Formats: sequence, structure tokens, C-alpha cells
Amino acid sequence: MIDRARRKMSLGLSIANLGYHYAAWRHPDVPADGNMDFRHFVHCAKLAEHGKFDLIFLADSSAVRDLDNPAIARDMEHQLVKHEPMALLAAMSTVTSRVGLVPTASTTYNDPYNLTRTLATLDILSEGRAGWNMVTSFSIDEARNFGLCDTLDSTSRHARAAEFAEVMLALFDSWEADAVPRDKPSGIYYDRRKMHVLDHVGTHFKVRGPLDVPRPPQGHIPIFTAGGSDQAQELAARIADGLYAGQPDIERARAYYASVKARLAKYGRSPEDLRIMPGIMPFVGRTLQEAQDKFDMMQSLVDPRLGLGLLVVNSFPDYTGYDIEGPVPDLPLPGGRNSEFTTVMMQRARAENWTIRQLYELVSGGFWHLGVVGTPAMIADMMEEWFTTGAADGFNIQPPCIPVSAEDFVELVTPELQRRGLFRIEYETATLREHLGLQPATNRHVVQRLAAAVGETP
Amino acid sequence: MKLGFSIGSTGYHYAAWRLPDASPDGGLSARHYIESARLAERGKFDFVFIADVAAIRNFDDPRIARDREQGILKLEPTLALAAIAATTERVGLIPSVSTTYNAPYAFARRMASLDHISRGRAGWNMVTSWSLDEARNFNLDAPMDSATRHARAVEFVEVAKGLWDSWDEDAFVRDKASGIYFYRDRFHFLDHKGDFFEVRGPLDTARPPQGCLPIITAGSSEQSQELAARIADMVYAGQPNINSARSYYNSIKRRLANYGRDRDSLLIMPGIMPFVGRTQQQAEDRFARLQSLLDPKVAIGMLVINHFPDLTGYDLDGPVPEVAITKDQMSEGMKTSAREPEFTAALMERARREKLTIRQLFDVISAGFWSLGVIGTPGRIADLMEEWLTGGAADGFIVQPPDLPGAGIDFVELVIPELQRRGVFRRDYEGSTLRENLGLPWVPSRHAARRKERS
Repeated sequence: MIDRARRKMSLGLSIANLGYHYAAWRHPDVPADGNMDFRHFVHCAKLAEHGKFDLIFLADSSAVRDLDNPAIARDMEHQLVKHEPMALLAAMSTVTSRVGLVPTASTTYNDPYNLTRTLATLDILSEGRAGWNMVTSFSIDEARNFGLCDTLDSTSRHARAAEFAEVMLALFDSWEADAVPRDKPSGIYYDRRKMHVLDHVGTHFKVRGPLDVPRPPQGHIPIFTAGGSDQAQELAARIADGLYAGQPDIERARAYYASVKARLAKYGRSPEDLRIMPGIMPFVGRTLQEAQDKFDMMQSLVDPRLGLGLLVVNSFPDYTGYDIEGPVPDLPLPGGRNSEFTTVMMQRARAENWTIRQLYELVSGGFWHLGVVGTPAMIADMMEEWFTTGAADGFNIQPPCIPVSAEDFVELVTPELQRRGLFRIEYETATLREHLGLQPATNRHVVQRLAAAVGETP
Repeated sequence: MKLGFSIGSTGYHYAAWRLPDASPDGGLSARHYIESARLAERGKFDFVFIADVAAIRNFDDPRIARDREQGILKLEPTLALAAIAATTERVGLIPSVSTTYNAPYAFARRMASLDHISRGRAGWNMVTSWSLDEARNFNLDAPMDSATRHARAVEFVEVAKGLWDSWDEDAFVRDKASGIYFYRDRFHFLDHKGDFFEVRGPLDTARPPQGCLPIITAGSSEQSQELAARIADMVYAGQPNINSARSYYNSIKRRLANYGRDRDSLLIMPGIMPFVGRTQQQAEDRFARLQSLLDPKVAIGMLVINHFPDLTGYDLDGPVPEVAITKDQMSEGMKTSAREPEFTAALMERARREKLTIRQLFDVISAGFWSLGVIGTPGRIADLMEEWLTGGAADGFIVQPPDLPGAGIDFVELVIPELQRRGVFRRDYEGSTLRENLGLPWVPSRHAARRKERS
């Protein structure tokens, strides 16, 4: 059990290239070409470590989405081209020594053997700081880069993901912790009895093993997932160590938190085994006015063409041609990925008589994650409330502009959280698992052997 | 001459990990890789090279003592090189990546990233995966046959190159005032539909600084040579003597014209394993030292994977027994091996002729029977390299240090200065990218002509 008095929040810094705000790259202090410039990421990595973040998180998709839809102004966005997260974090591991490194990788377009050796390598290079954000890739654009004409349906993707994670964890157990003595005098490099062949034959994968990379320092690297659906929650309860949640308000966040935590027991896990970390996009100012000015400036940089495109991406109709200062037209909703949110938003838009501009500014302001405009104390208040009242175990900080908003957070909010005893002042642990307060990983073969030795079935 | 430095684990000699100065973690750490690469950079090597196999081969054949070998465990090379990219400035970075068990899109973006992180220092050793052990890690019961693997490789390269050309160099205007990030007419869908891959593109990474990454291939078969002439910028050759190396060199260079390429557009780089000493005696002592640490069980396994029967039980100091060299005795996993039985037949022939004991046979194979090995002074090693360079057998070499860091340091401190003194190797890097240092021409984007029209 974690000592409640000492319970600290887990914080991730999401380095989405130039920031989560769609106009981030137009901010005067954001390097517009930073997404391909390694120096930008070195700066961010050092900043994250300076702010004692548990981890750096890199979102990913293996495609440039929506390029051929003229209603979406991709030519005004900065998230098009980017680094491949594994290579980038391997490079960043050399300029940091404490912060965790969590790349996103898809279970739909990877092979478990390849991904496992890649992540094990990242964990070795970083001496126990790697994690994995497991995603299943919903977009048609990714499917088309990997030989498919259409996406797999959600059930197939989730079944494949669950088997993928099983294979990965089993491959990590290929070698027991003391399987490789490299005993120079006797010439024994590894102990055959402590190496294990997997011979996995499942629905999606057939993998023999063993892994050709040593057991990673963390044993099993922490797995992160996301998603609000029943299926996604169940998968998280079964295999995840961390969960990214996109929750717009505390009531929903509490309900989600309770729903996910309640599922853990059936997999023999306790509530502390899974850290729930909602996303938050904070605009921080020393005064509320300063914060509001920062927010307003970013919103003013959203070109109407970009704004209309954001609506289309988020399953609203295409309002091109309508007066953006006029009321939101009464057009049928196209449905699609975020249709639940879209429906709620549209009801509000009608009830409150929003203009098209107001609607798209809500989207660019981060309506579906927690966008916060405030002073350090206000933001810390909100985080504290979520953290202490069953809505969150920590947060994934999604700076609107990078590095500037991340710098604001580290300079202004982090000290406030530390002062309140909610967040670490120094790193006290070495590995990402330890930072997150997770139990040490066990090796199934050791567990089985120990159980057999005392005459029990594990 | 061009020089590559092959790193990974603790060196090429099977007993290297047992040396007192060998890293106790088997070299499987960021520190070992980074220090090895920095050493190569100090020696002005064109590139560091990391071999790879996504499996542990033959771990369940009882005749092969894999549990006494260092090569079984490794780090994934593209990530190891990304870490190196961040900690070096000039040296090129070449991982082996298989076209058999990767998707070209995922590959193209990983490598483009490596090229951006290193500012134009990435290359690619393109391999196809023939082994049963790899197949079994990737949903298959048997490896793909050679023709299929090669056809897939050719298409894979086409797709990767096409993806690297997705964005024109001037696509990203990033104009903060107007809000335009890129020009819509300066990216390209690939829309590739082939026998093995369907890939729409564009790549979600900007065009690599080198445009197209230098590609290395290997192999002596007719098919491999043809593939090299068609797509490679460098060939990693395994040639045991200057005569065979010359004929291999000519055979490949001759084919270039068929693809409209000139002879200088492809570099032929034999592997060389140098045991260096300040004196000949010192070099021989270094070799003897390593051989004394070579477990006979390991050495017998080395013979088994090369079509010898299991020699366990024979007197190691007695003569090599008269045995049949045949593929039949190989386990399933080894029948697909690329190495030709003729090599082994030549080895048996030599054992007969020179009346070698089994232990002496171990010496022959450890000193580099299948590729170039040399035990000697800096002068002698430089002589040999110069002779190959000027005698139409090589454009450069990939150095396979028998042990790391020791043999690597000796090569950099003793052999490199000798090569520089003779004027056959650079004293400093000529360019900033791998392509420039190799003297390879810039490859314009396939869409460059259209771009020219536009401007």
C-alpha cells in the first residue's frame, strides 16, 4: 500500500513537437522548424528533468492524416511531419538521466517481436526509464500506409492489442534477471536453465522467442493506454500501468476513475497498480490577466480556415462559406470519431447562440481535454482537487506552446505543487516504474519455480 | 580509402568477452556503444556499422554452445545508433535492417528520423532474413525463399526511397505572418501498389538531410551482386584473399553499366579483422591470448554452422579427421544458411594439405578464414590494405575489431596514423554528411524536375 500522506502525483510532459495548440508554431518564441530539429527536443528533455517530471511522453501516428481533404487546412498546421518516437527518445536518453521516456507505438502496424526488442533496447539505453504508450491506430491514413484499404474494426484492434501485450510481457520474461552471468573464468555466458522459449501460438501472432535483447532493467516496462470506451477501460484494467484519460470536467473524471479502478480487482490487481493521468493544457500567467492574454493571443492566431478545418476533424460539419461571425448553422452532424462530444457541444452551441468562431475556438482551446487558463495557484488548486478527490493520480501536461508553456509550467506551477507537498522536490528513485510507485515486475518463470518449490500452483 | 568500424557486443573474436578489460555487461549498454563510436570518430572513420539478426540463431542445437558465446544478445541497432547520433558529430551511422520482417513505411520514418537527428549521417545496411529462427519470431514456420526475399527487398527499397521524396526540400515555408506552414503543391502521395506492399504516403517526416540514405548490401551470389549493382552505394564483402576479392570487385563493377551507373558510384568494402601489435610478436601474442580463451565447445560449434560434423570427442591436438562436408547433417535451422559449402570444402582441403590439428583448424577460422584476417604490425596491415586498395580489390574496408575496446584503440592509434602517413586515408572529415564523406553524389528528389519547372 502506498502511504496516503506521502502520495505524490505523477506528472508527464507531453512533447507534441511545438505544442498542443493548433497555432503554437506561430507564437513568436516557438521555433517553427523545431519538430525536425533535435536541439528543440534536447531543450525540452532537459526542461522536463529540471521540472522533475516522471516522464516525457511522445504521441504518434504513422501517417499524415487528412491531407487530401480540402476542408481541413493541414497546410496551416505544424503536426504534420515529426520524428519517429523510438529513435527520438533513444537520442534523448543520452541527454537526460532521470526522466522516464514513453513513446507511442501501435499494436496494429507493428510486430510484437520487433517492438519488444526496440523497447527493451530503449530501457537498456536509458537504464530503466522506458515506457510504452500502447495505441491501436484508428485512422484510415495509417491503414493505407500499411497495405490496408480500411481500418480494422475496434474489436479486432483491441483483441490484437491484448494479445500483443501478452506476447511482449512474455518475451520480456525470456531471460531471468540472473540468467546471464558472463562468467569469464568458466566461459559460461548464459545459464540455459534461465532462458525461456516462448512458443506463443495465438489468434494474431505466432512467436517463438526467446528475445535476443537482455531482460530490460525494469523487467517489464510500464504500459500506458488511453480511451474511454468499455473495451478500452477493460484492456487498461487488465494490462496497463498508466492510463491517459481525456476528461472535460471533474464529475466525468471521477466517474471514469471509479469505473476503471473497480475493474482492477478481477485481474488480481490493486488500485495503486494503475495510475490514471488525465491530460491538461494549461495557459499559466503570474496573474489571471496575464494567463488570459496568453490564451487570447493564441486564439487570435487561429486562422478561420484552420478553425473550420478543426471542426471537420472533430466530426462537425464543414461550415466553409458561412459567416464565421454568424450563428452555427443547423446542418446535420456527419458522425464519426468524436461524435459523442460533438453532439454535446452542438447542444450547447444552440442553447447559447454561439457563432462559428466561438465554436472553433472552443476546439482549438482544448475543449475535450482539460484546458486551464489561470495563475499557478488556480491551476494547482484544480490539480489538487482532482488528485485528492478521486479523479486523478496525476496528469499528462500538454503544453499549448513548446517550449514556452512548458517553461511557464515548470517555473510557476511545479514549485507551487511542491510547496503543497503534492509533487516531488527531487527525484528519489531511478527507474520509471519506481517514479510511478509501481510494484517491481516479476518474472513468470521465477514465480512458477518458487511456487513449485513450496508445492503450490501459482 | 573509406573505412567503416563495426561495433556491437565486445568484438568479433568469439572469446573477446572473456578478456579482462571486456565490459562485464557484455558491452550491452549505451556507454559501450557511445564510447566505441567516439573512438571511431577519433579515427576519422566514415561510419560505424552494426550488424543485426532479429533472433537468437541455433540456440537449441546441442552441438552449438550458444551459452558460451557473446553474440546471442544485442541491442536493437537503430536505437543504439540514435543514442550515438546524439553523442557524436561527424561519424556515419549504419544499422542493419531487414526488409523481410519490417514494413517499409515504419522503416522509412525511423531512418529519416535518424538522419535528421544526426544531421545527415545515417546509412542503411539492407539485409534479407534467411534464417528459420527469425521466421519463427515473425508468424512464419519457414523462411521465405531467396527469390521472394530479393524481390521483396527490391520493392522495399523502391518504397523507402519514394517515401523519402514525399516532401520537397522547400515544402515547409513556416510563415508565421500568414499562417501557412507548407505549400500544398510540394508534397507527394506515393500511392505505391506492388507485389508485396501497398503504401499511400506521404511520409510523416521531412525529407532526410541526405535526401536518400546511402545503402549497403552484402552477398556474393549472382542475385546479390545484381541487386548491389542496381541499388547499393556500398557493398560489404567477405573476401578471404586478394585474388577472390579482385574477381568479386570486377564482377560487381562490371554490372554497374547495365543500370546506367559509373564505376565510382558503388564502393566495395571487404571486412577485415586486424590483430594489431607494435611488433609482429605482440600481434601474435594478442591472437594467441584470444585463442587460449576460446572454448573448444564454441569452436566446434563454429565448424558445425559451416557444414562440419560435430568433432566433439576427437583429440584436439590430433589431426583433423577425414570427414564429409555436406549440408545434410545440418539442423533445419541451418539449412537455409547463406554460406556456401564450397568455403568449408576449401578449409578441409587446407587442413589435409597442411596436416592441421583440430586446434590449429580453430586458429585458421578465428584468424578470418572466410573473410580477411591479418595478424601483424601497423606497417604490415597498412601494406595489405594499400595493396587491396590500389590493386583493384577494394575501395575501402569495414574493420571488424577482434575485441573492444582494446583492438579498436590499437587500430585507431597505430594503423590509422600509418594509413594517413601514406596518404591513403583522410586526416579530417571532408564533408558533414555520410554521403559527402563517402564521395557519393547527391541524389535529387524524383520530383525535382517538376519543382524546377515551377520555379
